[in-house]
Order: sequence, then structure tokens, then C-alpha cells
Amino acid sequence: MANIAAKRVKREIKEVMKSEEIMGGAFKLELINNSWTELQGEITGPPDTPYESGKFLLEIKVPETYPFNPPKIRFITKIWHPNVSSVTGAICLDILKDQWAAALTLRTVLLSIQALLSEAEPDDPQDAVVARQYKEYPSIFAMTATHWTNVYAEGKKAIVDYNRRVQVLLEMGVEEHQARVALSTHNWNLEVATEELFS
Amino acid sequence: MAETSEARASPSAPGGDAGGEDDKPDERMLECNICLDTARDAVVSMCGHLFCWPCLHQWLETRPSRQVCPVCKAAISRDKVIPLYGRGNTKQEDPRNKVPPRPAGQRTEPENNGGFPGFGFGEGFHMSFGIGAFPFGVFTSTFNFGDPRPSAAPRGTAQYEEEQFLSKIFLWVAILFVLWLIFA
Ligand SMILES: [Zn+2]
Ligand SMILES: [Zn+2]
Repeated sequence: MANIAAKRVKREIKEVMKSEEIMGGAFKLELINNSWTELQGEITGPPDTPYESGKFLLEIKVPETYPFNPPKIRFITKIWHPNVSSVTGAICLDILKDQWAAALTLRTVLLSIQALLSEAEPDDPQDAVVARQYKEYPSIFAMTATHWTNVYAEGKKAIVDYNRRVQVLLEMGVEEHQARVALSTHNWNLEVATEELFS
Repeated sequence: MAETSEARASPSAPGGDAGGEDDKPDERMLECNICLDTARDAVVSMCGHLFCWPCLHQWLETRPSRQVCPVCKAAISRDKVIPLYGRGNTKQEDPRNKVPPRPAGQRTEPENNGGFPGFGFGEGFHMSFGIGAFPFGVFTSTFNFGDPRPSAAPRGTAQYEEEQFLSKIFLWVAILFVLWLIFA
């Protein structure tokens, strides 16, 4: 790995360990290997959002050309958010693309991703289905995101009604995540979801 | 997921450098905003942000179409950064020997090729001069001969010596050429 990239990642990790975010538990950062090319981040869902108290794991890949090019980051933990793919975890965030600047750090990027959880940008979506729900049925969106946080990210708030609908499909022999995606996509309309799954 | 202590990637992780010396707050003022190390061959942008010249150069090269300050995203360009020359530069190392050369301070070198540009040589001369054993850099510099050279090498460096030497050769070639014009 290019010298400057490894050196910078080392330095960043050293600094981030002393930061208030680590101390306050807002996020975590750990190395996956010893070559400084792969890290794992974890951000806590911001309060007063559907992601509250959730723990979201992030895959962080540092390119050889870092910091001249941005790190590649995606959600490992499944999340229901207009700017994150519910399938791949890919994130649509300008600073991870053309708005990247070499002075940005892993710390500032994690903070930006956390801010994205507080304030989605549905007009620049990564997941069109989620973005449409966000705009057209904001309360269903909030409940769906809360449900996903509860199921996949250890979020504390359960949506009992949604759990029950997933259970109905499970009893029909549908795989759990597939059932959840079908219901989430169709605004928790059990009939439409069933129809889609069995057509 | 197992709960671990907050400092999971420990600062003394494999290959970690011995800490301490870079923790003094006043030294951090002079850290490059790109490599986060103490700035070498330091330059400062018009917006006041400090970088190593090699770091900033690489940033500008990475995005030639969008040249913005890596910190505040103000417009930035090679011509609009100011090199910082501190006293007590203990590394007697010529920044010019490293790629890329740092832009020179805004101080025009005195013309040391007096009268020469007046000859107005034809293109054939430039071609025959350019093709051959002379390095590419010399060839391009002949084209700009009449202009003040903003990137002239600082006095005392190897490149400066080389430029002086080459300009002397060039002058001799020119004199021979004129003599040939007169006597041929
Ligand atoms: Zn630097
Ligand atoms: Zn700036």
C-alpha cells in the first residue's frame, strides 16, 4: 500500500481514539487487517430518528490513493434509508464521491454518515423504493426504518404490528428477510406482498 | 455483537509509530492538511491552508478539472499558492530534486540572457536544437526564452547550475550561428 495512505490511516486511528465520539460511544473504528487497507466502523443511530440506539456496521476500504481519493464505505448492517441501498448497503453521499476532499478524514466521514441518518436526502436517492415511500408515506417510512433498526441493528423499539405481518408470511414458508423486503416495499400491505411473493 | 472496550483499534497497533512527539498542540499548527504530518516544502493557499507541496500537487493532479482547497473547497491553483521558507531548515535537501518542483516565490529572476531574444530564430533552428541529445526541459525552455521565467530554479541548486550552463552553450551556438550567417 502506498506509503502516504498507510501513514495517514495510522495517524487517523490514533487521533480518532482520543476523540469525543469514541469516548461518547457515537462511533467505533477498528482495523480488519494489518495492512491498513480495510477497517470496520460502527455508528450509533442518532437520537430522535428511526435509527435511534441502533448499531450500524460499516465496511471501510481504503484505496491505495487515499487521501487523494475517498474511502469506499458501505453498510454491512441492513438499513432502510433513502440514501442507502437496502440490498447492497451502498451509500449515496456526495463526499464519498465527487465532493471528496483530501483533508476529510475517516472521522469526519463517519460523522457525515451519521448526519445522513438524521437528515435523508430523498431527491438524491440510492434506493428508489425507499425514497418513494419516504416522500409519499412518511409515517410508514419511519415505522419501517424503526422496524429494520430493531431487527437488524439491535434497536430497542419494536413495531409489533410489522413483526406480526412478517410472521404471517413466515408461516406460509417465505424466508424471513424476503418477507420483510416484500412487506416494506409494498407499504406493509400483506395481500399485495403475498401476491408478489407467490406470483 | 460482543461488547468491547471503546478503544478497539489500539494506538499501538502493529506498525504504529512511537507516539508522543506529534502530540504537542503548537506543532500541530504546522501539520499538512493532507498527510497530517509536519508540512515539508510547505506552501499555503490563498485561503490560508497549509500543505506539503508534494501533497497539494498530487491533489491538484488527481482532480485537474476541479481544483479546490482540500480543506475549505475554495478555488485553488498552482499559481496561487505561496511557498513558506522558514529559517533553520536543517534538512539541507533541495526541494527541486523531488518531483514535483514547488512553485517559486513571486520574485522574478534577473534576465541573464541579455539581448539574445532579439535574434528571432526560425523554427528550423529550434527543431535542430530540440532534437538530439538535449533534454526535453531545455527544448521547452527555448520556446519561452523571451519571457521572464517564473519557475526559474533558485540560485545555488543543481538545476540552476544546469540552466546556467545550458544558457551559456546556447549563447555560443547562437554566436556561431550569427558568424555562419555573416560569413557563409
Ligand atoms: Zn503533506
Ligand atoms: Zn482552504
